[in-house]
Amino acid sequence: METNWILFYVTLICLIINPITAEIVNKNVERNLDIASQLVKTSYKIQVEETAGKPLKEYEFIVKDPNLSFISVKDGFNKRPTIEKRKEKENGLTRYKITFASNAPQQTLLIETVSTKNILPYPSEIKQNDKQLVKYVGGLYYYSYYLTQTQRLNVQLSSSNIIAHTQVRPFAVMSNKISYGPYENVAKLTDDELFVHYENQSPFLTVNTLERTIEVSHWGNIAVKEEIQMTHTGAKLKGSFSRYDFQKDGRSGQSAVKSYRTYLPASATGVYYRDTNGNISTSNMNQMRDSVELDLRPRFPLFGGWKTQYVLGYNVPSYEYLYNSDDDYVLKMYVIDHIHDNMVIDEAVITIILPEGSSNIKLEPPYSIERRPNSLVHTYLDTVGRPVISFSQSNLVENHIAEFTLKYKFSKVSLLQEPLLVIGFIYIIFLLTIVLLRLDFSITSHSHKD
Amino acid sequence: MTVDITGGSSGTATKARGFLTWEKREHLVKLTILILAAVLSFATRLFSVLRFESVIHEFDPYFNYRTTRFLAEQGFYKFHNWFDDRAWYPLGRIIGGTIYPGLMVTSAALYRLMWMLNITIDIRNVCVFLAPFFSSLTTLVTYALTKEIHSTGAGLVAAALISIVPGYISRSVAGSYDNEGIAIFCMLFTYYLWIKAVKTGTIFWSAMSALAYFYMVSSWGGYVFLINLIPLHVIALMFTGRFSHRIYIAYSTLYCVGTILSMQISFVGFQPIQSSEHMLALGVFGLCQIHAFVDYLRSRMPKDHFEILFKTLVSSVISLALIIGTVLTITGKVSPWTGRFYSLLDPSYAKNHIPIIASVSEHQPTSWSSFYFDLQILVFLFPAGLYFCFARLTDSNIFIILYGVTSIYFAGVMVRLMLVLAPVMCVLSGIAISHLLAKYIKSVDAGGTKLAAESKRQHKKLEQQTGGVKSEVAIGFVSIITLMLIVYTVHCTWVTSEAYSSPSIVLSARSHDGGRIIFDDFREAYYWLQMNTPEDARIMSWWDYGYQITAMANRTILVDNNTWNNTHISRVGQAMASSEEKAYEIMRELDVDYVLVIFGGLTGYSSDDINKFLWMVRIGGSTDRGAHIKEKDYYAANGEFRVDKEGSPTLLNCLMYKMCYYRFGQMYTEGGKAQGYDRVRAAEIGNKDFELDVLEEAYTTEHWLVRIYKVKDLPNRGV
Repeated sequence: METNWILFYVTLICLIINPITAEIVNKNVERNLDIASQLVKTSYKIQVEETAGKPLKEYEFIVKDPNLSFISVKDGFNKRPTIEKRKEKENGLTRYKITFASNAPQQTLLIETVSTKNILPYPSEIKQNDKQLVKYVGGLYYYSYYLTQTQRLNVQLSSSNIIAHTQVRPFAVMSNKISYGPYENVAKLTDDELFVHYENQSPFLTVNTLERTIEVSHWGNIAVKEEIQMTHTGAKLKGSFSRYDFQKDGRSGQSAVKSYRTYLPASATGVYYRDTNGNISTSNMNQMRDSVELDLRPRFPLFGGWKTQYVLGYNVPSYEYLYNSDDDYVLKMYVIDHIHDNMVIDEAVITIILPEGSSNIKLEPPYSIERRPNSLVHTYLDTVGRPVISFSQSNLVENHIAEFTLKYKFSKVSLLQEPLLVIGFIYIIFLLTIVLLRLDFSITSHSHKD
Repeated sequence: MTVDITGGSSGTATKARGFLTWEKREHLVKLTILILAAVLSFATRLFSVLRFESVIHEFDPYFNYRTTRFLAEQGFYKFHNWFDDRAWYPLGRIIGGTIYPGLMVTSAALYRLMWMLNITIDIRNVCVFLAPFFSSLTTLVTYALTKEIHSTGAGLVAAALISIVPGYISRSVAGSYDNEGIAIFCMLFTYYLWIKAVKTGTIFWSAMSALAYFYMVSSWGGYVFLINLIPLHVIALMFTGRFSHRIYIAYSTLYCVGTILSMQISFVGFQPIQSSEHMLALGVFGLCQIHAFVDYLRSRMPKDHFEILFKTLVSSVISLALIIGTVLTITGKVSPWTGRFYSLLDPSYAKNHIPIIASVSEHQPTSWSSFYFDLQILVFLFPAGLYFCFARLTDSNIFIILYGVTSIYFAGVMVRLMLVLAPVMCVLSGIAISHLLAKYIKSVDAGGTKLAAESKRQHKKLEQQTGGVKSEVAIGFVSIITLMLIVYTVHCTWVTSEAYSSPSIVLSARSHDGGRIIFDDFREAYYWLQMNTPEDARIMSWWDYGYQITAMANRTILVDNNTWNNTHISRVGQAMASSEEKAYEIMRELDVDYVLVIFGGLTGYSSDDINKFLWMVRIGGSTDRGAHIKEKDYYAANGEFRVDKEGSPTLLNCLMYKMCYYRFGQMYTEGGKAQGYDRVRAAEIGNKDFELDVLEEAYTTEHWLVRIYKVKDLPNRGV
């Protein structure tokens, strides 16, 4: 009798603390781990089942990789369940609460995550002619609060040169792929390590800071300027750099970044690529059908640990991004744009400069951002200054290329202010000249000759 | 000349177009010509901006740019007290006290002014376009000066000539942000105000000219020429018996105010009353007082009394002056004759005595061809202009004659002083052309249209001038002059475009298929230094690149283009010329982290460090500590400077050679030639297979133009 009571209390406490345990199991989990670039891209296909047959509402999802940058969730019907990040963070785990759109005992989840800085060069310093080897440490099993009945893991690598990897049977290695599983009935919160040590020569380029300035003009132009500071975060160069080897030997400096492609909007014109010392003359521009492709070459090849800094700017016509009805304007532009493939941006600061006289400004970002205080900037032909909207976000990847919406009011009459200012100024100059020439300022009276 | 044409046919025109009087038309034409000349002088200097980009050129401008940026960002007081620890490691340099701040203050003021008006221009662009802007102003000032000296017509021609004269463009293209760019304007402006002062004899104009002189002093060391020329003018006026109260007032005011003002520039300091270069001005100031006093006495005394007094006075003053002068020179109060000044008087002085002065190419004597190259027809018109000035001597004419004669001498001594000559060439040629055209064009007119006899006086004058010249001769003459002017224009544009518009920081060459190849190696290397070396890294390079490294790489350097410390430069020269072990000792002593050399062997860039190497040897060997470095050790057995197998072993094993040719022995540079063929020296290098012990290659640019080496740390013990 007493033991029953105790059991009852324990169950009750368990239910109160964690009401969604017990009955949920992961029926089948398939994970694809893509570590071919500098990013860890994982896609999950999870079949969840409520064993008691009750409708399944909520699901707890855990990401083990630190530096999670991006996550997206879909269910089997291509609907988007709501996803909510749990406040508390324990042992470096990020927990999400997923609420399903439909109520059914069986659900399918398609989750994609991208995390950064989890692939580390190993050894961390190499000579110029060495290959860049990296290691990845992650979870061999799907880390979950629930029991997982069957699971598989496919690891996509950048090359077939695998130095070492975790060997838990069953597994198979096919050139640049390793597949693990199926593993049956893995208990909840089982944490086994997956270790892969392999060759990865893809560019390990990290954008340390991106300062993107969007200047809107109602005369039909939007000027975009991106100030970028980047570092090669792969294995650092040890010893000397040899230009001879670099030029003559194709195997030399493979992990170095000689150039990379940046894609700009197709309507981009007046592109410039420069740094504090002036124009960087080593770049090519190709006009493609749906984009402008820039082949950017830094002034020097970027070896591990080397930095560079530059400014890239261009103009786009405003009719593609700026919509209005009467005095209400809407600006829709990307928060960030493509810099290089598989990019990582540590910190991005986006600044939007609106025309003088804009008011009622409202920003709608596509994802959570950190808002910075508004300010004013004074530039050509300004009187009261242009409003500046600024926000920042850290740890961004390509998946974050999404549009923000900025709504504001702007009276069309203010458009006339600048030309009137110029006209008025010139008019006053002429007037002053006319008046001054006709006046005699001399303090002595003298008779005018001729 | 155009004005004279207008003047000739003015009568008819006035009637035909009633709404513009003759005066207004003259104004209009004058204004149009001046504006066109000013715009042209700005536009013709933009070749390099259009061809390359808005970038600062060469070496010194980079220093000026860096200091201007500092001034614009930090304000004047910080600038004035700026101790620069990025240069002359470990000595540093007090920037505020060792530069002429006029240029930086001008651009920073312009920059601030524009920002105040919400014109948010970059400071670099202010610097790049400052020189063209000031040459526009120079054009206007030249007009004013020539007009004062001769006539409006001559002024307009002179303005048109100076707007495109290559001798001046060479120093004032967009991006060549140097003192000379504004100094020529200041100089001509001072001259103009001086002529005004001489003509009017008012304190107002002489005070104005003192202010202009102050601006000139603040902007260029060449003010010494100015402060010697004006006293010379005064002396000449005294000897020709033209000394008057006007001159007395003008010079006394200018000297007193100007000297006090010039002493406010900390770099000038007490030089105006101490150094020998300024003594002429002081002497003439005293002479003015004596002359005026003597004139006063003469007017108050009987003639025989005056003569006795005059003789005693003269002899005692001369002896006293000699004694004081000797005492001051011996005690060192009056600074001894400096090297640069000697080299002005004796072109071979510098070469024989101071290698560091001789090593600068712009300090070399001017060749005859460069006179023609820089001035073209002005060379021939100059004597004609002088003749016309002599033909009708006035106070102001004497000035321009003196200016012309002295500056042509100095231009012959030093290439860079061509700059001082160019304006006077334009002024005198303007006078010549205007004079000749005015004479002949009337005959052309007389043959063609009916002469207006509205003003009888004018008509008579015209007849006198045209007397005896046939219309055909006149037409022929005018067309020859026109042709000459056209050729001048074409030549100037060509010279500007071909010779003076390369930024020298970016090199361009033609490839075999006619395309343009750009060598951007300098900026590549400097940017690499800025990005990938520690913030406090110390870079050793030959002094030519010092300014560029501090400005573009923002790193500490040992020596730079401000060659004020000969022994320090010599030490660097010794390191470059020594063997690796010896050089390592010097480099450890100087705390060097990186060494940078310029190497043109792959691209054929001829002004690289190997070609400058003999200067490093000479300068390195010119001090006590470098006595073991002897120039003759670096020559081959037959006395030539060779880098191939025949070359001297000292050369083939010195640090500079090794740094330039490290791993170059494996490179194929030209078809049909062996490995390691140096395209500048046209020889296969003599020492191919070697490793560096104390250095390691840190970076080499794409075309091998700049090579940077890292100095290795001392090896660990027992390893």
